[in-house]
Amino acid sequence: MLGKLLKYDFRSVSREYMLLWPAALVIALVMRFTIFARLDTVEDNLLANITNVLTVFIYVAVLVAMFIITLLFIIQRFYKGILGSEGYLMNTLPVRPWQLVTSKLICAMVLLLVSMAVAGLSVFLMIPISLQDIIQVDFSMLWDRLMEVFPSFLLLVAELVLCSLVGMVASITQLYFSMALGNLFGKNRLIGSIVSYVGISMVLNVLYTVVSMVLSFSAIGSQYRWDLDPALFFHAITWFAILSSAALAAIFFFGTTYILKNRLNLE
Amino acid sequence: MADSLICCRGLSKAYGQRPALQGVDLELGRGRIVGLLGPNGSGKTTLIKILCGLLRPTQGTVTVDGQAPGVYTKSIVSYLPDRMYFADWMKATDLFDLFADFYADFDRQKAMDMCRSLGVNPADRIKTMSKGTKEKVQLVLVMARKAQLYLLDEPIAGVDPAARDFIMNTILTNYNETGTVLLSTHLISDIERVLDEVVFLQYGRVILHNSVDNIREQEGKSVDALFREMFRAVPMEGGRF
Repeated sequence: MLGKLLKYDFRSVSREYMLLWPAALVIALVMRFTIFARLDTVEDNLLANITNVLTVFIYVAVLVAMFIITLLFIIQRFYKGILGSEGYLMNTLPVRPWQLVTSKLICAMVLLLVSMAVAGLSVFLMIPISLQDIIQVDFSMLWDRLMEVFPSFLLLVAELVLCSLVGMVASITQLYFSMALGNLFGKNRLIGSIVSYVGISMVLNVLYTVVSMVLSFSAIGSQYRWDLDPALFFHAITWFAILSSAALAAIFFFGTTYILKNRLNLE
Repeated sequence: MADSLICCRGLSKAYGQRPALQGVDLELGRGRIVGLLGPNGSGKTTLIKILCGLLRPTQGTVTVDGQAPGVYTKSIVSYLPDRMYFADWMKATDLFDLFADFYADFDRQKAMDMCRSLGVNPADRIKTMSKGTKEKVQLVLVMARKAQLYLLDEPIAGVDPAARDFIMNTILTNYNETGTVLLSTHLISDIERVLDEVVFLQYGRVILHNSVDNIREQEGKSVDALFREMFRAVPMEGGRF
């Protein structure tokens, strides 16, 4: 059932992204052959300058639009698709509430990740450095030195990637949970959603401040010494972030499904 | 298969302080066409929403085919809400795909045939359709399923009288014989001829549940006349019209 839900969630956004993603890449390619191809030849041509500025402007606009649209889609597909009038269709399908939320969440994550990949790839396409140039630079010395100082560097990178993924899930589910809470506000759903979101963010801020203060005080008070092992310190911090984000994401997720199951109140 | 299709016991629902249903006891059998009648705000939509699993009752129990509302009951209930539930991007055929994917009892061929006889082009974007056409698409989706329970919330409210008759005929000719149709409306005279039973709701309570034949025999009047009698608006004290 989850697969079928995903099929329709992706269909609902496919039109926009089938335009946006290729557009970003095509414009980046255009820039490679216009702006960056002429970097070495100093040109003082007004028309060329205008086209350059215009291309840069369009490129930035497309990238910004891509991320804003993604954010809006994440919000709108949930707000309209589950809590709005479309909810009459989705919430009467023979599926469980957690499947509805999971499908929206996976779709949101894929949109975000592919958009980030497209943005990264477009930079790569834009700047005319060939792969050979990069390989010719000898990284081995640098690498050896890094491995000497920080043997678990690759592990840390993996942890950081995991940390950002879990963080993204937590941010998206916070949006979902806020909207689900807003659904309980009767006639003022939109305001209720916004108030919930701001409220949750404020509580989290206070919580993080308190926790980090407690941690740093206890670190000073204890036998902790900075020369112990910086790598261990980084790993510990990253895992703290991963686990706390995961706990938050779980609370938001199950809070959302609880409301959808027991307190749903469509207009 | 449970004996009665719908069974409500002491069913209550309140929105905050405001009660919408108060202690509803109701049993409905199979293969019946039942009118859920009552003035605005009497709890018709709330009852239907509880039956299709969109709302949880505040108190009491409800079962559909012996089970509390959930994945199973949703798979055997075909629900027509009192509003449009379409997403902007969809064509009618997208909705047929969706229904075919999620409901094993959806008959795509039947849906296409119904579209043809209703004059709806299923390849059109929903967004570009008129309100009446959208209602027809939603009715096609609901009636092209071979469900055990059809919950139709105000199926004829938004269309003109000619379309109304057509919709009533669609419901009559397309529902399956073992299924029960529960439809809410306040336009009684239009649907009286197709009903087997009626349930009158007032202030969230069932004040009458009887077969149409009994009402005609015992009361000697039509359901419409009985309804007007029972729900006659009492003019405000001192009001002169």
